[in-house]
Amino acid sequence: MVLRKVGKYEIGRTIGEGTFAKVKFAQNTETGESVAMKVLDRTTIVKHKMIDQVLASRTKIYIILEFITGGELFDKIVNHGRLSEAESRRYFQQLIDGVDYCHSKGVYHRDLKPENLLLDSQGNIKISDFGLSAFPEQGVSMLRTTCGTPNYVAPEVISHKGYNGAPADVWSCGVILYVLLAGYLPFDELDLTTLYKTFFLVSNGSIEKAQFSCPPSFPVGAKSLIHRILDPNPEHRITIQQIRSDEWFQKEYVPVSLLEYEDINLDDVNAAFDNVEDQRTNQPCENDDMAPLTLNAFDMIILSQGLNLANLFDRGQDSMKYQTRFISQKPPKVVLSSMEVVAQSMGFKTHIRNYKMRIEGISANKASHFSVILEVFEIAPTFYMVDIQNATGDAGEYEKESDFQYIECAFGLTFNSAKSNFKATLKSK
Amino acid sequence: MGCYCSTSKKTEAQGYEEPTVLASETLCEYHDPSLNVTVSEVEALYELYKKLSNSIFEDGLIHREEFQLALFRNKNKRNLFADRIFDLFDLKRNGVIEFGEFVRSLGVFHPNAPLEDKINFAFKLYDLRQTGFIEREELKEMVLALLHESDLELSDDMIETIVNKTFSDADINGDGKIDQDEWKAFVSKHPSLIKNMTLPYLKDITLAFPSFVTRTEIEDSEM
Repeated sequence: MVLRKVGKYEIGRTIGEGTFAKVKFAQNTETGESVAMKVLDRTTIVKHKMIDQVLASRTKIYIILEFITGGELFDKIVNHGRLSEAESRRYFQQLIDGVDYCHSKGVYHRDLKPENLLLDSQGNIKISDFGLSAFPEQGVSMLRTTCGTPNYVAPEVISHKGYNGAPADVWSCGVILYVLLAGYLPFDELDLTTLYKTFFLVSNGSIEKAQFSCPPSFPVGAKSLIHRILDPNPEHRITIQQIRSDEWFQKEYVPVSLLEYEDINLDDVNAAFDNVEDQRTNQPCENDDMAPLTLNAFDMIILSQGLNLANLFDRGQDSMKYQTRFISQKPPKVVLSSMEVVAQSMGFKTHIRNYKMRIEGISANKASHFSVILEVFEIAPTFYMVDIQNATGDAGEYEKESDFQYIECAFGLTFNSAKSNFKATLKSK
Repeated sequence: MGCYCSTSKKTEAQGYEEPTVLASETLCEYHDPSLNVTVSEVEALYELYKKLSNSIFEDGLIHREEFQLALFRNKNKRNLFADRIFDLFDLKRNGVIEFGEFVRSLGVFHPNAPLEDKINFAFKLYDLRQTGFIEREELKEMVLALLHESDLELSDDMIETIVNKTFSDADINGDGKIDQDEWKAFVSKHPSLIKNMTLPYLKDITLAFPSFVTRTEIEDSEM
């Protein structure tokens, strides 16, 4: 076995692979602690034209995450074959709860598959990579470049039409339920063309049924639910709310709250915000119901790095500011809660106050903390600018840079939707 | 501002001027002698200046590339605003920032410098074509530069909306350009607009460049 080391971490086998990141098992050689190490290959990201100059210098980004001990649901199926009806239903219920929670925050996964479903030590499902897979238009091109087959992806995603995130995720949940119960895929075609043909039995130009069959072992209730989910027409497809009221689904249903929030003392949160090296805190922001700050044209101009002469005073590692901005037309509350889910799914802590969010985490080398401030501004009616910059931290230059780029990458993917949708609406005008 | 042009001391070291001279010069610009770039601050600024002015060309003068390197950690990164600042610092307009120019210009950014100086400096900065007015096209050009720098795309309509809104608030007499008085009134309504005209580090720059403390030649009575 080849052992590689990154810092004090010894890298072991790959425990998960996503479109952008590989997750590897790693062990801290000093403490023996097991962690999950997320490895992002910058060249892949550059190839996808998601992010260009910011990811120019080094080749990889390493992020250490909590190692979720239960492994992937995928491994469980590979090792044990199909699951019992009760077990399948329990995972499916948790999956639907988790996906519904994320949808309620305006985040769509679009790459749901058993490999992205991790099991914690209690055997509960944790959906991973919500942030990194929250890509919109690029879905198809990315699926083509990954080595896996797009077996979990909804037909409308493959067929290059515009699609909604929610029904697309529902489709993937249906494929996952099928796999849990059968131990194999409903659509096991190796290439897109065949898969596409399987999805659509086109007669007189209208879409009919997806071609698949359920094994006789399937419970009747599950079978009918799967058929309602794997409907190639996203408009006719069952919704999450309808799934919830399905008779088979309802059995032994214990709703779970996927994300456990820590009991945060409000004073701590306020103190954390006040410590931020950020002059904007002077501005009135006490009222909870207030709108985001409006930036006039000059306010925007002074955000330029070229007008920040503080950079002349190289105060060592602490001085470097990393910042990035996005435009969004979504309501600011939606923007914030989407970012919140993304950050949390990456293992970071978040604190929100008004239209500002502080994201905290352990830096990649695990030796220091870092934090990033995200703020939403209104620049024109219904147009919002999201400004993201690193706050003070004791991380070294390199860690800070890679941590920031990691976050930027994940948020950038989420926000690309806003950017590209916006371009699309412009063209159609 | 009379002191700017009246004195131009040449010493052996290129670009270097006596700290005592500079300190007293900046003194006469300010109305209150206690609001002053002190001798020790000038000396400490020299440490910073030496570093910046020798980062690429070892000639003791700050070239545009060196300025860009310091601001962006990238000597080739051109930026409209950095260019404007460089040009304003380069009082003699000879393509380099000399030490005297550096100290005099940074003096405006001192936390104790008069607000009026900061407002005026910002006005000159945004008056791209130096017509004595901030014109609509100039504002639009700057918004475009910021969007470009941030890798953001907005429709022309949207940019027009943003510029129009700001202009209708600032251009009180509605003549299509912002004059000095209108700018002053606008800044007093939006004081955060000149927050980047103050550099808190200038106050504790002696801490940031401790080498000054050991090699100081001048007894500083002001400390």
